[in-house]
Amino acid sequence: MATLQTDVLVIGGGSTGVGVARDAAMRGFSTVLVDRGDLATGTTGRFHGLLHSGGRYVVKDPKAAEECIHENRILRRIAADCIEDTGGLFVTTPIDAPEYADRFVEGCRAAGIPVEEIPVAEALRREPRMNPYISRAFTVPDASVDSWKTVWACARSAQAYGSRILPYHEVLDLTVDGGAVRGALVKDRRGGEDVRIDAEFVVNASGAWAGRIAAMAGCEVTVLPGKGIMIAMNHRLVNTVVNRCEMPADGDIIVPIRTVSVIGTTDQKVADPDDWQINRDEVQKMMDAGENLVPGFRRARALRVWGGVRPLYQDKAEGADTRDVTRAHTLLNHRQRDGVERFLTITGGKFCTFRLMAEDTVDAMCAELGVDQPCRTADEPLPDSEQGRYYWLGSRVERREATLHEDQLICECELVPRRRLEAAMRRRETIDLDDIRRTVRLGMGPCQGGFCIYRATGILHQVEKIAGEAANRSLLDFVQERWKGVQPILYGDQLRQARLDDWIFQGILDVAHLPGAWVGAA
Amino acid sequence: MSPDAVVVGAGLAGLTAGVRLAQAGLRTTLVAKGPGATHLAPPTIDVLGYAPDLVERPADALASFVSERPEHPYARLPVDTVAASAEWLRALVPSLAYVGTIEENLLLPTAVGVPKPSALVPEAMAAGDLRSGGRFAFAGLRALKDFYPRLLADNLSQAKLPTGVTVDARAVHLTDPGAEADVSPLGYARMFEDQEFRSVVAAELLPRLEPGESVGFPSVLGLGEHRTTWLDLQDRLGRPVFEVPTLPPSVAGIRLFHALRDAFVRAGGRLLIGSTAAGAETNDDVVTHVVMQTAAARATPIDARWFVLATGGFAEGALFLDSYGEVHESVFGLAVTGVPPVGESRFVPRYFDDQPMARAGISVDERLRPLDLDGNVAFRNLFAAGAALGGAEPWRELSGNGLALASGFAVASAIVEGAS
Amino acid sequence: METMEWVRGSLDHCVKCTICETFCPVSNVTPLFPGPKYVGPQLERFRTDDGSPDASLDYCSGCGICTTVCPQGVKIAEINSQARAKMKAQRGIPLRDRIIARPSAMGKVGTPLAPIANFFLENRAFRWLVERTLRVHRQAPMPLFASRTFQSWARHHAPLAPATKAIVYFHGCSANHFEPRVAQMAVAVLEHNGYRVIVPRQGCCGLPLQSNGLFDDARRYVRKLARRLEPYARRGYDIVATSTSCGLMLKREAREILELEDDEDLRTVSAHMFDICEFLLNLHERGALRTDFRPLDMRVPYHAPCQQRGHGIGKPALELFRLIPGLEVVDSDVECCGVAGTYGLKTEKYDIAMEVGAPLFRQVTEVATEVAACDSETCRWQITRATGIPSVHPVELLYRAYGLS
Repeated sequence: MATLQTDVLVIGGGSTGVGVARDAAMRGFSTVLVDRGDLATGTTGRFHGLLHSGGRYVVKDPKAAEECIHENRILRRIAADCIEDTGGLFVTTPIDAPEYADRFVEGCRAAGIPVEEIPVAEALRREPRMNPYISRAFTVPDASVDSWKTVWACARSAQAYGSRILPYHEVLDLTVDGGAVRGALVKDRRGGEDVRIDAEFVVNASGAWAGRIAAMAGCEVTVLPGKGIMIAMNHRLVNTVVNRCEMPADGDIIVPIRTVSVIGTTDQKVADPDDWQINRDEVQKMMDAGENLVPGFRRARALRVWGGVRPLYQDKAEGADTRDVTRAHTLLNHRQRDGVERFLTITGGKFCTFRLMAEDTVDAMCAELGVDQPCRTADEPLPDSEQGRYYWLGSRVERREATLHEDQLICECELVPRRRLEAAMRRRETIDLDDIRRTVRLGMGPCQGGFCIYRATGILHQVEKIAGEAANRSLLDFVQERWKGVQPILYGDQLRQARLDDWIFQGILDVAHLPGAWVGAA
Repeated sequence: MSPDAVVVGAGLAGLTAGVRLAQAGLRTTLVAKGPGATHLAPPTIDVLGYAPDLVERPADALASFVSERPEHPYARLPVDTVAASAEWLRALVPSLAYVGTIEENLLLPTAVGVPKPSALVPEAMAAGDLRSGGRFAFAGLRALKDFYPRLLADNLSQAKLPTGVTVDARAVHLTDPGAEADVSPLGYARMFEDQEFRSVVAAELLPRLEPGESVGFPSVLGLGEHRTTWLDLQDRLGRPVFEVPTLPPSVAGIRLFHALRDAFVRAGGRLLIGSTAAGAETNDDVVTHVVMQTAAARATPIDARWFVLATGGFAEGALFLDSYGEVHESVFGLAVTGVPPVGESRFVPRYFDDQPMARAGISVDERLRPLDLDGNVAFRNLFAAGAALGGAEPWRELSGNGLALASGFAVASAIVEGAS
Repeated sequence: METMEWVRGSLDHCVKCTICETFCPVSNVTPLFPGPKYVGPQLERFRTDDGSPDASLDYCSGCGICTTVCPQGVKIAEINSQARAKMKAQRGIPLRDRIIARPSAMGKVGTPLAPIANFFLENRAFRWLVERTLRVHRQAPMPLFASRTFQSWARHHAPLAPATKAIVYFHGCSANHFEPRVAQMAVAVLEHNGYRVIVPRQGCCGLPLQSNGLFDDARRYVRKLARRLEPYARRGYDIVATSTSCGLMLKREAREILELEDDEDLRTVSAHMFDICEFLLNLHERGALRTDFRPLDMRVPYHAPCQQRGHGIGKPALELFRLIPGLEVVDSDVECCGVAGTYGLKTEKYDIAMEVGAPLFRQVTEVATEVAACDSETCRWQITRATGIPSVHPVELLYRAYGLS
């Protein structure tokens, strides 16, 4: 069995985990990070992409609001390339209590969130698709953030400081010896073999799965998975983040992120973060919520629906509405709490405070280890963000225009050229097209892979020099993966698309009868 | 002077009905928002490919196929009609020179290397028939991103053919001339029409071919000059050359569209492409007008004695599922069957499982007239053809063009009968 | 209340089928234009009010064929038009575009000075100079000024026979300043069929301003025109146009591209707007068109301009031609003559335009025994400039066949 030695083992490749790996590596620790899947396939890759100004929490949870605006500023400095400065609007829609707006303004001021009331006419001029019957409008520094970009940038930064980032490595068990965690037994799910990792310290940053990992060290940690669904609409119905000016509720926000706009979200307790459905009522609820913010929403094209589970830590016995559980993050020192040393769990929180969560975690770890190293993660920009320039939506267009005649456009919807695709395939050393999707957005546009899946498979077959059957698996798996997110929300224009895609895959290519196709199998 | 018949839809079903009606001497107007699936799908006439197992003899298989599926549109189309429609098309478009009959399916390689059953295929695709095995070289074009012959050949070599024969397949990548890195299938079609270009391609390819190898190209061998292009290439390479259909646009399908459109216009038909049929006016159980939405802010009704709905299914927007889960037929407001009750899933999570809405569409009587929810003929003078018909899953059965052709043919027959 | 955008929102209907690309006359001859699917619904998802960095968009000719053929109803050309206006607003609109976009202004200057103006327009040295400074190609098909406007003629025109019904004629700038003969013939044909032709005070429909991205000016012009025509439409008069592209502007392009859907006057005008061949064919179908045609023994190539097909009414001219004995008409199947309004006049677009139109020019040269026929004036000028063969509006063939000359 292969073994690895490291100072710190981080379990969990979401934003918190890579944040911890980066912070620890920058402070001089050798670090290994493992995740059972690709990076950011947990909650981090499944939210709506909002970089909170904190406005949403100013009345409900002022502390969280303060944290948000504080981190918002830092992330804008260090991760500009991952952020689109869309700005945000809080609007009082006809179903919102008008009095809330004044409390909102007060709360923003108290938390230090820049807020400005603008005339409704001005708000509608900026966002002509918004509900024209809004009564008040306020601007705040919301933005949209690409979580995969951010996570991979952190990972690359961590790697630059010597970390080893290991996706597709699942923790089978933690090694506990003499009242301390000594490392973990991990399975390389791609290579097939087991790996033993010996570590001086283990950080459990596995989000909604934190309870499972902690249990491996004999520590009881209750994390309530709070499922929320989101729907991506085919194009940006708004170019500013639009929030309902009201206490946090379901479907109170539309986020323009990359080429889509996302309506979200719901909140439903589930028992198991790996086992839950998207049901019809939730979907209809989000459609109605969208219609309230953007009239005509239901006639727009819904591209895809997905869900994520919020990791909500609960110390006491379960409450009814998971939204009442505190959202500020939780750092559990297991030496103090459970008598197990060299082990911390960081859970709860939200994406926009991941850096702060990581800082708290590594600070605590340093305290445990008697190491005195300051955190510098707020000072050093992430790779590609060195110029401090925000992401802008036209950047892919600009790049494509420059290579119109020399490079082929493979995923036309999301403007992914062939060279970029091939480079991603080589760099990731993967034959899973879903991994590639997360890296370059292959298949994430209106046709949901109808045109680009065949092309990408042909290229994969060539570039990775794999056998036809392996390529076929990639194709079929990706077709299934795209279908998974489309079928619960399939209507109107997207159904047209899906039928055309059926014609392409089955009618023209006949993929159901590829050698090795598992059509019909369990 | 209104037309005798109005056909709504310019796909294979609509054009077939239109040409037959016009040729029978009826004043026929064909309206459509745009071209149909002729531009997207290969022009092979797939009568029945999978039932769900591979079908070798579609004419024979139809009887038992429909007995198991009484709601299938083929249950309203006798085998003789299917056969007659195929012969009619063959005779109508000599430029495509269709090969094959509905008695037997050929097996042609798809762009991903699966042997796919088709009954009638254009001559330029026929040499790709895999049933007798053989040796094949597939040519990759430098700037065509819609064709991957290496993957095709890899899969084809593993394919299990029913006759037990095997196929030897390999890929040859060409560095054909040109400055652009990203050329569309139509762009290549025009390039292949140039003799000079063909000469360069043949010169590069010939020395790399082995004896006894037939050559498969992506379906880009010319458009208006297709026949000359294909024959010349075949001549230069000294061996059978065939086309393999790939992603849309379907250059081969566009050839069929042009031939059908020209036949329609020659027969005196009036073609109105670009406007949407937004509704209809009816009087009791008779359709009196189809209402067109042209550029002006007014409705333009067209009245006629007979009407044909050939607007397609969900892919074409003719059948529409709204965000609440309700289905509508957009021109005549016809009942759509095969839709699960509101509140029940329309689709299931696994792509290849049986999808609850897969066969949703318009139910018709034996003369192909749409039925209402009680099973009665909705309008005496309205007929339906093509992908609008419910009860079929043509992309899975591989029956799309067969159904479109046969139903368009049958509808015209029914109307002509009624007219005399 | 609906706030869904008609044009941008229509991108949702795009299923990437590529049908528009197969028809685009520009992308089919030059790689400089990546095609309507790309610059339209595809890139629109990447555009915000800060504009779009795609210079290739400028090569869209605005012919509108993509919208006409899109089976899903995406308003591709309209998306492009709006995007281009935003792009030009950012980058600045050249003086050239501002000038050629105002045919009525040019006319006001050129018509009184027609002999001098035309001398210069036909002078090679002057045209070379114009090409150098304004970048209007020296061989671009510029029309010549008439010495008297059609409006002036109409004011002094007395109909020859009593009329039983009336119709309004929207003549457009080109008939007014460059081709009053076409308008006169249209009037004669209508009068021959029992109509009193009302020629109200009019103005430019704003189409060339719109095509060149000058949206605010275009809106001013078209609103003004709509206000002048609306009183007639409201009283039930139909309005015919001989300029098929200007007719389309009033039918739908202004409402869609300039976002004037709420303009009641424009809507009323649109509801009563007819292309003249459309109108005459409707008359014929009601049995109300005089068919006392004398034979015209000629073979005429007919080109239905892209803007004519944008009306979505088929090709009524072809059916009218069938009523004329002896007349053999060959319908060209070429999509576009290349000029696309003012597109083909521009130095950087001229070669593309000529290549787009090349198959049409060949056909016209092979088929025509005397003239070619085409509903759009800019196309006629392009065809004639490229082939030397005179091009006429379909109404002129009717005029001749009626023996009205």
